[in-house]
Amino acid sequence: MSIDKVISDIRICRSLWENMGRSSKDKRDIYYRLAKEEGWRARSAFKLLQLDEEFNLFKGVRRAVDLCAAPGSWSQVLSRKLRGTEENSEDVKIVAVDLQAMAPLPGVTQIQGDITKITTAQEIIKHFEGQPADLVVCDGAPDVTGLHDVDEYIQAQLLLAALNITTHVLKPGGTFVAKIFRGKDVTLLYSQLKVFFSGVTCAKPRSSRNSSIEAFVVCENYSPPEGYIPNMSNPLLDHSYDVDFNQLEGPNRIIVPFLACGDLSAFDSDRTYPLQLDPSKEYRYTPPIQPPIRPPYQQACHLRKNNLLSKEDSPTVSFGGAFSALHLSANQESDTAAAAAAAAPQLDSCEMNEEEAAEQEVQ
Amino acid sequence: MSVSECEMADRKSAAVMESLMLVAPVTALEFLEEEYLLAGEGPILSVYSLQTLLINCTSLSVLQNQRIHGIHLDPWQQERGATAAAPKEEELFVSPWQQSGRVRSVVLAVFGGKAVRVVGLKETGCGGPSLEALGPVIELQDWVCDVRWLRARAPLLAVALAHNAVLLLEAGKGWSLALCSCQEGCLLYSALLLGQRWDDMVIVGGTVFNQLVIWRPGEVGEDGRDRIEGLQMEVGRTAQVEKRLSGHSGVIFSLAYLPKHGWLASASDDRSVRLWGVGALGGVAGCGVPAPPCLRVLYGHQARVFSVRLSPGRVFSAGEDGACLQWGWDSGRVERSLKGHIAGGVRALALSGGGRAVEVACDWGGRRRDQALEGMQVHLRAGRGKVHSVLWAGQDGVRAYLLASGTAGQVFRWLLEGALYSCGRDGCVRELRVGAGDRLEVLRVERACRGMEWVERVLILDPEEGGEEQGTGEGCQMVVLGFQSVFFVVWDPVRRERLLSVPCGGGHRSWSYCPPSGPHRAGGALVFVKQGAVLATQVPQDPQGAVSWGLKVGLHGRGMGCVCRLGWVGPAGQGERWEILAAGGEDTSLSVLALQPLSGALRVLSVITDHISSVRALAVGLRGKMRIDGQKHGCSQTDGHTVTSLSSLLISAGGRAQLQCYRLLVGWGSQLSSPFCQVIQVASHRLDEQWERRRNRHKIVKMDPETRYMSLAVLHDGPEWILLAVGCSDGAVRVFSVSEVDGSFQLLWESFYHQRCVLSVAPCCLKDPQSNRKLFMFSGATDGRVAVWDMSTITAWRASPTAAPTWNGTCSPCLTFTVHQSGVNSLAVWEGHGDGQTGWMTVASGGDDGQLSVVNIRVQFHQQLVEGSTMCVELQSQSTVLLAHAAPLTALRHLGPSLLVSASPDQRVCLWSLCSSAPHHHSPGPHQQGPASASMAPPHISRTPPLTSMALPYTSRACSSHTWPTQRAWRCGLGLGVKAEPG
Ligand SMILES: C[S@@+](CC[C@H](N)C(=O)[O-])C[C@H]1O[C@@H](n2cnc3c(N)ncnc32)[C@H](O)[C@@H]1O
Repeated sequence: MSIDKVISDIRICRSLWENMGRSSKDKRDIYYRLAKEEGWRARSAFKLLQLDEEFNLFKGVRRAVDLCAAPGSWSQVLSRKLRGTEENSEDVKIVAVDLQAMAPLPGVTQIQGDITKITTAQEIIKHFEGQPADLVVCDGAPDVTGLHDVDEYIQAQLLLAALNITTHVLKPGGTFVAKIFRGKDVTLLYSQLKVFFSGVTCAKPRSSRNSSIEAFVVCENYSPPEGYIPNMSNPLLDHSYDVDFNQLEGPNRIIVPFLACGDLSAFDSDRTYPLQLDPSKEYRYTPPIQPPIRPPYQQACHLRKNNLLSKEDSPTVSFGGAFSALHLSANQESDTAAAAAAAAPQLDSCEMNEEEAAEQEVQ
Repeated sequence: MSVSECEMADRKSAAVMESLMLVAPVTALEFLEEEYLLAGEGPILSVYSLQTLLINCTSLSVLQNQRIHGIHLDPWQQERGATAAAPKEEELFVSPWQQSGRVRSVVLAVFGGKAVRVVGLKETGCGGPSLEALGPVIELQDWVCDVRWLRARAPLLAVALAHNAVLLLEAGKGWSLALCSCQEGCLLYSALLLGQRWDDMVIVGGTVFNQLVIWRPGEVGEDGRDRIEGLQMEVGRTAQVEKRLSGHSGVIFSLAYLPKHGWLASASDDRSVRLWGVGALGGVAGCGVPAPPCLRVLYGHQARVFSVRLSPGRVFSAGEDGACLQWGWDSGRVERSLKGHIAGGVRALALSGGGRAVEVACDWGGRRRDQALEGMQVHLRAGRGKVHSVLWAGQDGVRAYLLASGTAGQVFRWLLEGALYSCGRDGCVRELRVGAGDRLEVLRVERACRGMEWVERVLILDPEEGGEEQGTGEGCQMVVLGFQSVFFVVWDPVRRERLLSVPCGGGHRSWSYCPPSGPHRAGGALVFVKQGAVLATQVPQDPQGAVSWGLKVGLHGRGMGCVCRLGWVGPAGQGERWEILAAGGEDTSLSVLALQPLSGALRVLSVITDHISSVRALAVGLRGKMRIDGQKHGCSQTDGHTVTSLSSLLISAGGRAQLQCYRLLVGWGSQLSSPFCQVIQVASHRLDEQWERRRNRHKIVKMDPETRYMSLAVLHDGPEWILLAVGCSDGAVRVFSVSEVDGSFQLLWESFYHQRCVLSVAPCCLKDPQSNRKLFMFSGATDGRVAVWDMSTITAWRASPTAAPTWNGTCSPCLTFTVHQSGVNSLAVWEGHGDGQTGWMTVASGGDDGQLSVVNIRVQFHQQLVEGSTMCVELQSQSTVLLAHAAPLTALRHLGPSLLVSASPDQRVCLWSLCSSAPHHHSPGPHQQGPASASMAPPHISRTPPLTSMALPYTSRACSSHTWPTQRAWRCGLGLGVKAEPG
């Protein structure tokens, strides 16, 4: 056997080793895998790209805001699309905001902060004084708690906070794109957005799963009501059903047009694909580009890994007279059938394994 | 279309659906002294008595379409009643009860979402308590994080809002009196209001950016009191943040304060609980000490911490990992860990009586009451040498078992039901019965609990004595005993809960367990041998001691993905019969449920845990021969009789390409007047089984996709086999046969025509002029396309012993059309009236795009072959309601000739009447086909979030348009709802 063969065998073994376990997400989620292979920090990049395919979002855009940007795949898309390869990329301005820290990106100004907080909003606004933005995008989502009403509410608040910032920084005629949960009160958000934009569409990129209630509102042609003065200290509150939740028509039962975005030939995010996509190309595991910088659970995970999480102490062994009244002798009772039923198998396991058990306890 | 038809459509469109029953997760809990427990389940407030075994006394729907997140007792009610009484400042403990004559009452503020409501609980001398709304639902502009009753002559409430503001509310009328926002405009996940008066109250806010902020909304001003009394709304005032507590690295989900010690506790997304020494808050003390120290950081949860409560010396926390931890304040260590339902997590937690009792409520309505459980271990020395065996004697429970022997462990005979259980060190419990020729037949093999590799015994506990009259009797309970690493575990397979866990050192030892007895299920003890000594762990017999009471059965913790109805058992009377449903969930389990819509009773009859991934689709076969001799089970649903048993074949499909089939025998015990269920495993199938069998599979990367089965439909329900259509995530539609005789699934056919995830499948059957049955299959994928397949010859097909067991009939669809922009979530197909040469099919579909579409398909039968086929299938007409729902349309059912019902996560269930669904009143001609159109009936709100599936009784398929039996729709998602459309 040649040495080359041995080396190549070793290499194959190693790559198999590396692929084990980690490939399962690649199998379940084609866009997750593609994102890694194409160098995006998150699969969400495809959502923005597919929205752009339909709406031409970046046409003529020089200044953009990316709200809730971490880990930064939308900023990557903006950076690539706006700056391109042109020389005059100096007048391109991209401001990215998130609660989480984010690895730097060329031409992207970062702000770490809560977009629902006035101070953060003011900081963003400062960047666009005199020179309004052409595009505001927001992919904000709460960490889903599983309580749907809470998650939907927080999501709606992120959208409204983004809208509030938008009213300060967006130029008339500009575009606002935001993630939205199509849940119980989505019509109220539509009616709120309709106040500020002449075109509101609910769009679902093909890279967003069919099974998820997530979609994106693409709001075109910013045209605030006449005389509207943006006000930071009074947050935009949700609209409410002024009559009845059950009502079918009226200003609060606005349902905006729906549009599925992205080429039909694109990958289907709900479909499970084999790892070997292309028969001529061997599957290789690609590590993630940019894992979250400091997730909230970091410390907890560290403790858990090192078995440092607090655990229940084993019950204390105390002696009390309470049991002395009980008959614990096996011999006494062994004449009854019932007792035999309980006793026989115990004997069995005892005899075989008393030593083993002792060993176990030592460990 | 004729005029009369239009009128008919109109009349029907006025039909109203009414909600019959709702099972929702528990999201709020509060003790009313030691007498009652108040729980919020969806919009419903329920009262449980703590004295009488936690029976549900009364319930009231209080918050319309909002979910209850908190309940607060009014402590100042008495004081308010006594008009002139001067407030006693120092008095700390006040009873919330107000006595007037023989009537006692309390006032509650119930809040959730953007609503607050005041509710009264009244107790008259006789009978139980009653609930009554004392005012309208007060709808606010903003989300409510907390409320607090104020000590004032008028019923005033301070309301903490999610935008870091506090509202002063006149609770009776719902008037807003004052609003104060914090200058730190931000979003709060949680808030806590403290203090007795508006002027000096303090709010602690848990922000999104990991900080706690403390500030005072009602600064002390001379005009303070006048303003409140004068009932003038004041807005626009702002206040400064006075204190900030930083340290958490995630959002804050819950806050608690212990005035006696001046401790504040916070629970966070970062999985920790922190304790802060804030000192006195509220009143003259203001915002507490200048620089509050963080006294403790408690890490112990495996996931987010949702709730925290304080008692003197103890901290209780509960979280997403389903655990409730009791921490010692001094040690900073976990003293006790109560493991609730694993899936779903614990949302609400309440303490009563100074922390002696802990109430744990689960997301899923599973709820336990644990009083500081101090398991006692007693040390006995029996002699010098080795102790080989110990056992309990004189226990009543033991009588029920009969040893039948076996190599895998023990076999016990449970005389009552005639079923045998065996268990062994493979971690499985086998259910057997004596079949024909006195042979043992295995009915079901079930894994006990995860990690429980060594099952030692199965115990059948006697039904609770006297429990039945009080409505909690659950019949017999089975528990599994075994070892899980170093613990001895008592496992409840229905509730999926560890009842007891003792660190005895692991298997291979001699032990004996005495089950708890009596109405409280109190007591119970384990004796075991460890290092030559006999140790006993006893759970105190005293009901005041260690008790865990199940208040409510838990349902699938992480949401139900599918539900289907099997039938009913019990007396025929509307109110008394038990509807039998099967449901599957993301927690990978399947459950068989019995519910009585009118009484609201719900029982979990059986939980099946064979799936290794989430259960996504269910189907039922009603025919088919039973293999088992000697017993005749049948579905005799004749009115006026008692149906004592029901037998059907349940097929489930889910992730990892897994199919399971069970024979369910649901009986009705007239003595106990409750249903019970026996589950027999019939067949099981996994696509990747071939791969699983490879010995070196851990060394190679699995190249196959991990296909999920998305939907399931019965194509043919024959006496010997059932044909199933399965929509698969790998882009295939597959047809399987399942036979009870062979006990296996067979893959007969597959097509990758769609090349996209197939979301829905549905069958339709027509008769051709020669009265041959023509079987069509419909499949819909994520690209909005529907394919129609001619499957007619598959029912007659038999595998020849030599050839491969596959059917190669159709290889391409006979018709395809696009109805939606994105996924076709749900399909409903039915036959229209044809005449001789022509058949009609109507396809209704619900899409991810929120659209409802109705398509008419014409099938022209030819005398001879035309273009290689004896029939021509073509699309005749299509009509759509573009924005039927504001969110994806997730479920659609055909209720009758011209009635459709649809459901969506926008939380509306809509009824649609078709003005002319099938053109049967017209002579078929291309120009006369009136397009089927849908008009909308008043939609009905469902209060439970995401609706994913809906099942309807079979009766609705067969009913005519004039004599409508009551229609019921079962919705599921997070919770289960039953809607009825009265005839
Ligand atoms: C789905 S991720 C965004 C992914 C991003 N668009 C990309 O392509 O990489 C949602 C982000 O919203 C952020 N977020 C949530 N709440 C926020 C808030 N109140 N202020 C700022 N960011 C927030 C989270 O930190 C998270 O990084």
